Amino acid sequence: MIAFENVSFAYESGEPVIRDMSFRIEDGEAVGLIGANGAGKSTIMKLLLGLVQGEGRILVDETEVNRDNLSTIRHKLGFVLQNSDNQMFMPTVYEDMMFGPLNYMVSREEADKRVDEILDRLDLQHLKHKYNHKISGGEKRMAAIATVLAMEPEAILMDEPTSALDPYNRRIVINTIKELSQTKIITSHDLDMIMDTCSRVILISKGSIVADGKAEDILSDKELLEANHMELPLSLSRNG
Amino acid sequence: MHMADALLAPAVAATMYVASGAAAGVSISKLRKDDEPAKLPTMAVAAAVVFAGQMINYTIPGTGSSGHMCGGMMLSALLGPYAGFLSMIVVLAIQCLFFADGGLMALGANCWNMAFYGCFVGYFLIWKPIIQSKWFGADKSALRKRIIVSSILGCVITLQLGAFSVVLETSLSGITELPFGAFLGLMQPIHLAIGLIEGLITAAVLCFVFDSRPELLRDVDEVGVSGLTAKRSLKGTIGILAIVALVVGGGLSLFASGNPDGLEWALFGNTDGGYSSNMGLDEENFGVSSQAAEKAESIQEKTSILPDYAFPDSESAAGTTVSGIVGSAMVAGVALLICLAGGFFRKKKKQS
Amino acid sequence: MNKMEKALNELGHMDELAVQESPVHAMNAGAKLLCTVIYILVVMSFNKYDLSGLIPMLLWPVFMYQMSGIPVRTCFYKLRIVLPLVMAVGLFNPIFDREIMLHIGNIGVSGGVISMLTLMLKGVLCLMASFLLVATTPFDNICAALRRVHFPAMLVTLLLLTYRYVGVMTEELAVMTDAYHLRAPGQKGIHVSAWGSFLGQLLLRSMDRAQELYSSMLLRGYHQHFHYAPIKPFKFSDAVFLILSIAFFAIVKYVNVSELMGMFLVR
Repeated sequence: MIAFENVSFAYESGEPVIRDMSFRIEDGEAVGLIGANGAGKSTIMKLLLGLVQGEGRILVDETEVNRDNLSTIRHKLGFVLQNSDNQMFMPTVYEDMMFGPLNYMVSREEADKRVDEILDRLDLQHLKHKYNHKISGGEKRMAAIATVLAMEPEAILMDEPTSALDPYNRRIVINTIKELSQTKIITSHDLDMIMDTCSRVILISKGSIVADGKAEDILSDKELLEANHMELPLSLSRNG
Repeated sequence: MHMADALLAPAVAATMYVASGAAAGVSISKLRKDDEPAKLPTMAVAAAVVFAGQMINYTIPGTGSSGHMCGGMMLSALLGPYAGFLSMIVVLAIQCLFFADGGLMALGANCWNMAFYGCFVGYFLIWKPIIQSKWFGADKSALRKRIIVSSILGCVITLQLGAFSVVLETSLSGITELPFGAFLGLMQPIHLAIGLIEGLITAAVLCFVFDSRPELLRDVDEVGVSGLTAKRSLKGTIGILAIVALVVGGGLSLFASGNPDGLEWALFGNTDGGYSSNMGLDEENFGVSSQAAEKAESIQEKTSILPDYAFPDSESAAGTTVSGIVGSAMVAGVALLICLAGGFFRKKKKQS
Repeated sequence: MNKMEKALNELGHMDELAVQESPVHAMNAGAKLLCTVIYILVVMSFNKYDLSGLIPMLLWPVFMYQMSGIPVRTCFYKLRIVLPLVMAVGLFNPIFDREIMLHIGNIGVSGGVISMLTLMLKGVLCLMASFLLVATTPFDNICAALRRVHFPAMLVTLLLLTYRYVGVMTEELAVMTDAYHLRAPGQKGIHVSAWGSFLGQLLLRSMDRAQELYSSMLLRGYHQHFHYAPIKPFKFSDAVFLILSIAFFAIVKYVNVSELMGMFLVR
């Protein structure tokens, strides 16, 4: 369970980025977080992960996100960054996947087993000992998801998981996301992907929630989307 | 300025390793005390930028040649001397290991010549005092001028020190017959020109950072720039830079070469340049046959890790050379055999 | 292809070589590192006139290249950086040192020529050895080995992280360079008006990037401690290799093998 209770946040000497925001996400839900550039989507992620501190309460499984329990919170949440190069800082895919578990005191044997399991599941065994700077963009994105899965998080946060991918790799990533059983929060401008992967959508504008509901309801509301710098997903605009 | 292993005697290389190692040790303990865990990734990324940035060719106006930027000064202005020094070490280590730019055993010397002076001398004696001084006034454009001056001065001086050290280390190693004074006379002037260019490029980059994100620069914040009105007159700065560069460039066209490394240029360019002036140093004390050199050589022989094989001096050497030459040819033959055998076995393995 | 792309290719090529399989690749990284260091030190310690004594040192790298299957030509490609410098210093020796040391037929060879050739050979040998180390050992293994011998953790971690981002930054600069030259045809380098902003832009962006990178480390439980990949253990065969290599270096160092071999033939 993830909950925001009257959360506000502003960067130093600036306009508030998040204004008195409240929502609740239950276990196993897949939520798409959409909104125009600068609406505050990334800030919500950062607040949740404790990378920035705001006002109000943020709860993860009844534990409040604050400085004292960051390590517990972060163990429960896996974050897939938009830029995989920033996520994968170890030389090889294998070492990158080991990094998280080893830091959380998982034994090397156990971590090794986990890594192999995940690579098998995602069909990525061929990447195991590849160098991170030598794999393609699509492979890198999949590997980044794998490094997060290796930590066995209870919820997965993803920032633009399909950006800059070709249709084939995009499809692979989407299928992978669909198969994940964890709670998922995904921010993206790729509304077709959100349509495919999420059952619920939260639409953000200028730091506030504009709409929160079933994915098919919000993503088919042409006026609402266009008012927020977005367009109907292709799959819907063709039918309509 | 990257030295190769072959240019150094083991004792000199080891001494320089100890010296650079000590500086690295101090840096590490200082950084540990500061306890800024976020600094490590910043250092790594900055080092990577410097590594890549050193491959950029900057056109020097008025000449056909190009300059490069100086990593040590830039890193210490961004990260401080201690973090800057460690980052430079890493840059040099990667250049050495993957690009053969500088030798593995010469790494200690290279760190000293290029990183130590650039980071410690450049920061403590040049950057910090100048930035914190009241030169040119108290407003933002004065601060920019101080950044320019300290970048240029820093690069020139640290490069001079580096060039001097290269000459000293090579001469102490007893590798070259080139008299110390003449070697110095070749190296210092060319590195003066290079230092000026590197200084200008470094100044331009640091000014850009200053205009956009002054808080990233060391000591600049403490001067209290945040209260000053931000005036982005990059044009003016570049104007000044361009004029200085033109003047320098005009003089530099004398040295003009497409060669990025002054050491190579200095050595290639002047086989008959008639460098007898010795830069004011007298031959008796500093020449290769001087007491200082002899003393250094004897120290080096005593301290070398494996004592020198007592090769007979020139007269007696001639007596045994025939067998030496024949034997060398035989060794070459053995080497060839190893190659052939290796190729044979690999082929066999492939077939099976 | 611009300079950065070439550098990237070179870097990539080294990585590829390092993950191949051979008896040399299978060795313990620490043993290889130690052996390389000793080899280079021994080569450096030869007297500047001792060309015939130095030549047998060639046998070790030649043997190792054959064992590892690393093509020697890739190493010689790197010589283009080392040799000019070494040659430049060496070229002065024949000028300043004209004393005749030996005669081949009627031609007198001066001490300067011998010391020049010795210097060049040293340059080649040292490069061959250090190249062999990097070409047969993945870089993270070298780092792990350094950590094993209690090299400061901060420096090793920095080395590892920088190595990773050298690729990223070089690639970014390669693209920027291409973009620059597409809009500035005929320019050989960066024009003075862009001196500051060209690298400055990248520098600013990378500082933000470093922040994100640090977040990513934190989110995966980083608490100032890095775990290194396990390296190949120090086996009995590594000990044998070390002892044999060092014995070989010692023999070559203290006995002039070339001369000895020659004497058998001449007499």
